[in-house]
Amino acid sequence: MRQRWGVLLMALAVFLAGAPPDAQAQAPSKLIRLTFYYPVGVAGPLAKVIGEMTDKFNKENPGVEVVPVYSGDYDPTLQKVQTAVMAGNPPDIFIVEISELPTLLAMNAIIPLDDYVKKAERGKYWEDFFPAFRENSLLRGRIWWIPFQRSTPVFYWNKELFKKAGLDPEKPPQTWAELKEMAKRLTIREGNEVKQWGVTISGGWNDWLFEAFVRQNGSWLINPDGTKVNFDSKEAVEALEFWVDLMHKEKVGPPHSTWGSTPPDFVAQRTAMLYHSTGILTFLRNSAKFDFGVAFMPKNKTFGAEVGGGNLAISRKIPKDRQDAAWKFIEWMTSSENAAQWSMASGYVATRVSAYNVPTLKEFLAKDARYLVARDQLQYASGKMMAPNFQKIREILKRQLDDAVDGKVTPKEAMATVQKQVEAVIKR
Amino acid sequence: MRRRLHLLATHLAVGFFSLITVTPYLWLLSTSLKFKTEVFTPTPQWLPWPINFGNYAEVFDRAPFGTFLVNTVIVVTGILAVQLVTVTLAAYVFARRQFRGANILFLLFLAQMMIPIHATFLPNFLTLRNVDLLNTRVAMMLPFFASGYGTFLLRQAFKQVPRELEDAAIIDGCGGLRFLWHVLIPLARPTLVAFGLISLVSHWNDYLWPLIVTDTPDVRTLTIGLGMFVQQESGADWTLLMAATVFVTAPLLAIFLVFQRKFIESFMFSGLKG
Amino acid sequence: MPDSTAVVTPERPSAQALWLTPTGRFRFRGGGIYLYLLPSLAFLAIFTYYPIAFSTYLSLFRWNVLNPDKVFVGLANYLTLWHEPLFWLVLRNNLFYALGTIPTTMALALFLAVLVNQKLGAARSIYRVALFYPTMIPMVAAAMLWVWIFNPGIGLFNYYAGFLGMPRIEWLYDRHWALPAIIIMSIWKNFGYFMLIYLAALQGIPAELYEAASLEGAGAWSRFREITFPLLAPTSLFVFVVAIISSFQVFDQVFVMTQGGPADQTNVLVFYIYQNAFRFWDIGMGATLTTIFICLLLVLIAVVFRYVGRRVYYEAE
Repeated sequence: MRQRWGVLLMALAVFLAGAPPDAQAQAPSKLIRLTFYYPVGVAGPLAKVIGEMTDKFNKENPGVEVVPVYSGDYDPTLQKVQTAVMAGNPPDIFIVEISELPTLLAMNAIIPLDDYVKKAERGKYWEDFFPAFRENSLLRGRIWWIPFQRSTPVFYWNKELFKKAGLDPEKPPQTWAELKEMAKRLTIREGNEVKQWGVTISGGWNDWLFEAFVRQNGSWLINPDGTKVNFDSKEAVEALEFWVDLMHKEKVGPPHSTWGSTPPDFVAQRTAMLYHSTGILTFLRNSAKFDFGVAFMPKNKTFGAEVGGGNLAISRKIPKDRQDAAWKFIEWMTSSENAAQWSMASGYVATRVSAYNVPTLKEFLAKDARYLVARDQLQYASGKMMAPNFQKIREILKRQLDDAVDGKVTPKEAMATVQKQVEAVIKR
Repeated sequence: MRRRLHLLATHLAVGFFSLITVTPYLWLLSTSLKFKTEVFTPTPQWLPWPINFGNYAEVFDRAPFGTFLVNTVIVVTGILAVQLVTVTLAAYVFARRQFRGANILFLLFLAQMMIPIHATFLPNFLTLRNVDLLNTRVAMMLPFFASGYGTFLLRQAFKQVPRELEDAAIIDGCGGLRFLWHVLIPLARPTLVAFGLISLVSHWNDYLWPLIVTDTPDVRTLTIGLGMFVQQESGADWTLLMAATVFVTAPLLAIFLVFQRKFIESFMFSGLKG
Repeated sequence: MPDSTAVVTPERPSAQALWLTPTGRFRFRGGGIYLYLLPSLAFLAIFTYYPIAFSTYLSLFRWNVLNPDKVFVGLANYLTLWHEPLFWLVLRNNLFYALGTIPTTMALALFLAVLVNQKLGAARSIYRVALFYPTMIPMVAAAMLWVWIFNPGIGLFNYYAGFLGMPRIEWLYDRHWALPAIIIMSIWKNFGYFMLIYLAALQGIPAELYEAASLEGAGAWSRFREITFPLLAPTSLFVFVVAIISSFQVFDQVFVMTQGGPADQTNVLVFYIYQNAFRFWDIGMGATLTTIFICLLLVLIAVVFRYVGRRVYYEAE
């Protein structure tokens, strides 16, 4: 008898297994259901926020239902999108990291949005976005996707630890030279152990941070078209030499870390200064028991940064009516109001100039001006480097950065290797 | 006296290693009950104070771990259900029948034990993609429906049954499948249970294959859910992460603690006899 | 031979394997028997053996995100790998991982099995549970936990290791110590399982052997060396083979703890395949690596079956 129940249970399991994941029996005929794959790149209940925003949109637009699908970090989301696209079953709307635009185009995965954009908000839509954010949306003269969750790297410093080290807590380093000097004073050693690092340049996306340093040195790494690379320039080598100086020679910063490990390190006061995305500001605010500041990244020849984050795209291989509905959603999500709302909830920079006039955001910023630093840094910011097969390029760059700060290769050799290998990748 | 000292030393040694093995899990529990700001103390605080049960609620709020649990249960029972069928049938003929090619065919089964999904995931992924089965629960089960290991174990068990018993049964009109169902399977129950437990545990803990074939939260299993949750938190909020980890590990651990004897027996005899 | 699936045994022409019965149905020698194997064989064919052929086939093509239509390139992929330092680094990492985990895990498992096999009374079940429970946890969960434990600043490991005089190591963030960290964590996770295997085998050793040895004045170490160890040889071999195959399958820990870093020092074969196939969308290269992996396994299978297989097979008779 017990055997029978066992068999029954298992039969049920097998049956249930076959059940399709989104078994929609008979949906009302006019309802357009759109799948929306999105990543979460910073700590916080952002999946919930996205859920709330899409709920609101769905209520305001009865003919459309957007189903948000949290897909992990940037890398896994890209992987899922690519898998789905290649299987001929793409998500209708998705967000991936901005450097992937050339790859998306190579896969013929998305549609250009020029026509939609021209008509939006009576023509005033596109100019309202910050220029730096617009750069990664364009390729070969067309607009391919809309800025949504955008950021720049910023510089965080622990005011208490500054005080302890005899430094003025209100004066963060302005230049590379100052950074090095202050980092030396802020590094505390006990014997051979480092109890407190002076400055941490976060790993994980250290390729992103490196690009910023190269910008601060007045140069670039990949041209906007993604066809030429400039890794072995004098300026890039100098930037890497500076890193090696900090992390290998002077040992004022840890040579390796992960993107997720460094914010807790900062909160635990294991590092006095930190390079990281503006997106972690909310997390730091909620977790740190000390006063800290946010500033532009120190300059060398100039202040410099590049943008980061993800844009909203519409898949190509879906019928026109779905594309139209998807555009409705994107336009809604990127309205001034919602851009402001999203910025407040997530800590990302609001993507539109007019968002900063939205009263709730103004109020919010009045209470904590640190959120404005990233926006103000935008004047020095450029688009993020992008090229086809960017994932591979990233790995190549990160590998050489890692090896260089360990002293395994000289900066010159490292950048020469990157140049060579990336050129091979782009040609492939 | 010497004996006593010997025994004491043994207890100390084993106890020490037991402690080392258990400590991480205690730390896991402890962290999961702390407040976010209480985690960054320079010396480890073993007893969380104040206690924060809220982490668990927040974990559920942020990701549908309940769904993940249901999916995991469906997948592992589905796998086992089909495995029991394929394995029993195959082990039966390997154990009690002579036929051409038996040796070679059995070798194919044995070889499968040494070709894990980690070696075949890419072509299998492409296969499933071509038949549009990606992102389904079935996809997570398919590669595991045949089990060389189970066939091998069960064949050993079936072989234990004496020939005379079968002959007698045939004379009584209970041959073939009837014999299998009414005699062999009941007699091989310990082996079946052992295999079942091993299969359940190993597929409960699958990661690579489900990672590759699932996209959306509605089919995600606990392990994938945990992996995604980690990314969601960008590795920053340890109390939440540890709470999620406790939740993911608790079901199987709880069942293990209750049925530990059975589990341990099963795993002990999963190797070759002697 | 009585054919249990039919009431009447049709007359079988002696030499033919396939024949037509008087009732017009085809039968072949053995008949229903192969049907029993069909479900298993079908799944084995599709999900184990076809993949081997398929990946070998794909490895001869250039097929990546920039070349959406396969291009035949023969052995070019293999040549690329031969000259790719990262490929050799990955293999080296697998080797180091195996060297780091296998002997230690086996020794630890054997050591504890022998101890736990003593007359420890009620405590014995507690010990067994305590030592074995990590097997019940998914590797990703354990990996998450150990990332936390290995945190250089506030992690448990460095804190207690400090008492033993160890310097503070950056573990997962140090190119020299990331792989050792993963090794340590894997040993913790896996030794319990092997301990149980040894425990089962130990219980098969007749107590009289030990008694006789004791009577002759042999000490504990002597008894272990002369009796236990040799008699456990088959088990050790089994454990060894399982451990080797497991060591090739390392993925979860790397995925969660280091993503192959720092500087690819923890990049292992399965992770490298995953990277190529699902990050770089270089399916051709992924297939090439898969084929190489399978070849390594097949070599291992051949070796195992040659020297052990017969014993295993016939002993199970």
